[in-house]
Amino acid sequence: MATSGSNDASHSPSPVGRGVEPLRAGQGNSFLLRKLHSLSGIVPIGAFLIEHLLSNFEALKGPAAYAAQVKFLNSLPLVRVLEVCLIFIPLAYHALYGVYIAMRGKANVIYYPWAGNWMYMMQRWTGYIAFVYILQHVIRQRFMGVSLPEHPGAAFHKVQMELANPWMLAVYVIAMIAVCWHFSYGIWLFAAKWGITPGVKARKRFGYVCLALGIVLAGMGLASIYAFVGPDYKNAPAEVAPAQSRVVAPASAGDDSNQYLTLPFLDA
Amino acid sequence: MAAPKIIVVGGGLAGLSAVIKIAEAGGNVDLFSIVPVKRSHSVCAQGGINAAKDLKGEGDTTWKHFDDTIYGGDFLANQTPVKAMCEAAPAIIDLLDRMGVPFNRTAEGLLDFRRFGGTLYQRTAFAGATTGQQLLYALDEQVRRHEAEGKVKKYEGWEFLSAVLDSNGVARGICAMNLRTMEVTTFAADAIIVATGGIGAIFGKSTNSVVCTGSAQSALYQQGAYYANGEFIQVHPTAIPGEDKLRLMSESARGEGGRVWVPRTVGDKRSANAIPEPDRWYFLEEWYPKYGNLVPRDVATRAIHKVVYEHGLGIDGQPMVYLDLTHIDKATLNRKLEGILEIYQKFVGDDPREVPMKIFPGMHYTMGGLWVDFNQMTNIPGVFAAGEAEYQYHGANRLGANSLMSCIYGGFQAGPNAIAYAKALKAAPGDGGHASELARQQEMNRGLMTSSGTENPFRIWRELGETMTKNVTVIRHNKNIQEADEKIVELMERYRNINLSDKSQWANTSFAFTRQLYNMLQISRVVARGAKLRDESRGAHYKPEFPERNDEKFLKTTKASYAADADEPRFEFEAVDTAHIPPRPRRYDAAS
Amino acid sequence: MAGKTIQFEVKRQSSPDAEAMWEKFEVTWKPGMNVISAMMEIAANPVNSSGQETTPIAYDSNCLEEICGSCAMVINGKARMACSALVDKLEQPIRVQPLTKFPVVRDLSVDRSVLFENLKAVKAWVPVDGTYDLGSGPRVFPQQQEVAYPLSNCISCCCCMEVCPQFNDATGFVGAATIAQVKLFNSHPSGKVLKEDRLRALAGDGGVQECGFAQNCIQACPKQLPLTEAISDVTRDVTLQVAKDFLRA
Repeated sequence: MATSGSNDASHSPSPVGRGVEPLRAGQGNSFLLRKLHSLSGIVPIGAFLIEHLLSNFEALKGPAAYAAQVKFLNSLPLVRVLEVCLIFIPLAYHALYGVYIAMRGKANVIYYPWAGNWMYMMQRWTGYIAFVYILQHVIRQRFMGVSLPEHPGAAFHKVQMELANPWMLAVYVIAMIAVCWHFSYGIWLFAAKWGITPGVKARKRFGYVCLALGIVLAGMGLASIYAFVGPDYKNAPAEVAPAQSRVVAPASAGDDSNQYLTLPFLDA
Repeated sequence: MAAPKIIVVGGGLAGLSAVIKIAEAGGNVDLFSIVPVKRSHSVCAQGGINAAKDLKGEGDTTWKHFDDTIYGGDFLANQTPVKAMCEAAPAIIDLLDRMGVPFNRTAEGLLDFRRFGGTLYQRTAFAGATTGQQLLYALDEQVRRHEAEGKVKKYEGWEFLSAVLDSNGVARGICAMNLRTMEVTTFAADAIIVATGGIGAIFGKSTNSVVCTGSAQSALYQQGAYYANGEFIQVHPTAIPGEDKLRLMSESARGEGGRVWVPRTVGDKRSANAIPEPDRWYFLEEWYPKYGNLVPRDVATRAIHKVVYEHGLGIDGQPMVYLDLTHIDKATLNRKLEGILEIYQKFVGDDPREVPMKIFPGMHYTMGGLWVDFNQMTNIPGVFAAGEAEYQYHGANRLGANSLMSCIYGGFQAGPNAIAYAKALKAAPGDGGHASELARQQEMNRGLMTSSGTENPFRIWRELGETMTKNVTVIRHNKNIQEADEKIVELMERYRNINLSDKSQWANTSFAFTRQLYNMLQISRVVARGAKLRDESRGAHYKPEFPERNDEKFLKTTKASYAADADEPRFEFEAVDTAHIPPRPRRYDAAS
Repeated sequence: MAGKTIQFEVKRQSSPDAEAMWEKFEVTWKPGMNVISAMMEIAANPVNSSGQETTPIAYDSNCLEEICGSCAMVINGKARMACSALVDKLEQPIRVQPLTKFPVVRDLSVDRSVLFENLKAVKAWVPVDGTYDLGSGPRVFPQQQEVAYPLSNCISCCCCMEVCPQFNDATGFVGAATIAQVKLFNSHPSGKVLKEDRLRALAGDGGVQECGFAQNCIQACPKQLPLTEAISDVTRDVTLQVAKDFLRA
């Protein structure tokens, strides 16, 4: 049976250049990596974020209380191991893989200005902001200047110095909102993408929950920032003695440095 | 011996059914389609598929289904294959159900059925109002599965041009054109199955899809195949008038209780909802008390024509009547008809749950088609046909929801029959005619590409559609038909003076269309001339000059063959198989 | 109304490698006109608005009633079906261009075969034993049918993929349409025999994990498929399957 033409080679209407490739069924590890990314955002990073915001909230009670909180955290058993395994490694992974994810998406809110699409883009931008901010935050606050694990009493002063620069203050405010946004929408995304809230209504309701959480967290964070720059604890000493009880209330407002138990050897 | 090689042309319900049967039987099958098969015209079928499963306790039987079909088709269909189809139908529904078609269900988890036109039984299984889409997808999925297993090779984006015939006139393959590279190639096969649907495009605007040009059937007719009952064209009573096409409004709208009416007084300017009951004329219910709104399509279509053109009662003086669903509760409408209501809402802008729809008859279905024997084979050995492309299941008028069944049943018959034929086939003499057919088609393409006339093919097509719709649809006068035929001859003359504004060799859609157009013109003549010859009224074919059915002269299948010398159709008539039910008068207005 | 015209701008490309250019057209308005019928008018009179003869526009279309899925294109910046894009509801000039995420064949015609490849990869079918008579199908209650039917309405137009920020060359994301079909077949009484295969397939590169939940898919879907719900459900099932496979390995 003769056929003319080389039809076997061209049975599909001739290819027209490559488009998006089909699913690589069952191949590769991106599922695992992506799920780890998603999970790491909630636990441990999200959990750490909440802890961090709660700790910072102690600043509202003054340098001594804040110092006590820093001291408490640094007194946790195996704290350095925990710090590396539960904070640095997951954070680095979440950040780097997150950038990889974000770089591969092609945002199109210009054409499709729909709420979900905005949130998609915002999640990426808040992620970038968080990435840059956290990088400098860790370097400057954890690894540069006074070592806080050894000098928890210097924590308040260190932060206050940082926020004394209005540019830095702006960075902190923006980053605080971005991080809380990223985290609370991240929780919403987690529930949607892991199949916890498949229903449209359920997602909507949970959206309100996440919104409320985000507002509370951001509110707490901004309040903590205010504690460092507001009038209450202006010119905090470089190092204070951590309060004995972690529920020390600050004395009435004023600028009396007697409020602080100053440590003479660290006096500036 | 190697597995026989079968080529199936057309990827709608009939084509896919054939492919599945062949793949299952171990045959080697190539599937050709202009569009990706999942986009075939079968998706447009809405209302449902008939099978006498009698799940409503009405005492329905396959015999009654058979009788309704024959009676609905005005006794023109050969009875033996129709009887076999009706008997096979319940098992086909079960099969489709097993394939995952999301049919609507009863509380007990069984198949739900609704009533359709031309029957008194609830015999129509349905998946919302998108049944054709759901059935096509189920078959498409099965074919994809066979394709993944290497049993089927798809050639999507290829257009069938002709059959390759050897020196004895036996089919040895097909000649097809790649719609991207425009390259013409022949493909060898032991048998071919043509399942290329209807010919709606010759009427310009119809409920058919763009690909339903009848080009393949016409090409085969010009190669010597008989084209049977071409004059029987179904005009669906309820379509949404449109500039580009007539969008179908399924019979299921009436099956679920929809009522057709017009204002009683000429020139009533009130909006539909403002017209009180006494001022509405439910003419179908009045004229046909037993079947009401569910008379067969030809009957309903003529009634609407009469009300509009003789009584002058079209809405606002326009050719439109109301199809009213507003008395049915919205939850039921959404569950059973949502698909079609959305179409209306999207294209017209009104919500049919709130406002009666405005509809008018539109060309819908091709009862005629390639003549086939009871094994689905045309008179060209090795060329089989199935589905709307062939003629044998619907006689002079198709009942609603019978087409999906006839497509699947026809495909299921054609597939195994083609294999059986192919197994007994002797080797081809010479090259089986491949080289000469390829040369012939390439020559035709060259001729078109180099033609430097003045005629635009799309304008010729528009004129063809206008003349066919005006003269060869619902009401047919011999004088008008004659005019139409002369007009077609004129258009064929002008075709020779065609000018392709696009002469490129890549994805040239207007070139492909121009090739189809020639075939459309040829088949139009078959329709017109066949209508002229049949001096009687039967089913969808209605001539006021001959208002009665004439069994003595015309209880016959019209068979057109192409006379190459005169470049026109010749006709002969063949007796109809009435082995099971003696013909009786067809009267839906009285008890039958 | 005679004389009223519609302004069109069509992005044209004579072949996959050719450069794309915008061509302007002026078409006589007709009632109920849509983008496809306007292009039919252009085919019958292929002259652009500067009066130059041109070629008819190449585009995919078939049913013209938004059920075959052929005529998806980007109209005034949005991916949608051209047949249901009524001219009267569009801002002029109406700018029409091909889908941007699929290789252009010519003008507005694109190659969307990737979807069909994806459907193959996830075994989107019910593996029936055969087409011979095996009696009735499984019982399916109306509640199940009401879940399955909307998913089965997918017309493979690929709008959900076009608008998805994650569907692109870098990710090779499978897209919402295929994921919805996985949910459909996994919920079918006998289709679920391949459930594990499908879920494992979707855990591959380009699988469910690439969804960024921008939810554009559900906004753009002309058939209102519950796509986000399907993605959520299927992703959960894929995760459980992967965990199960890990623990049973």
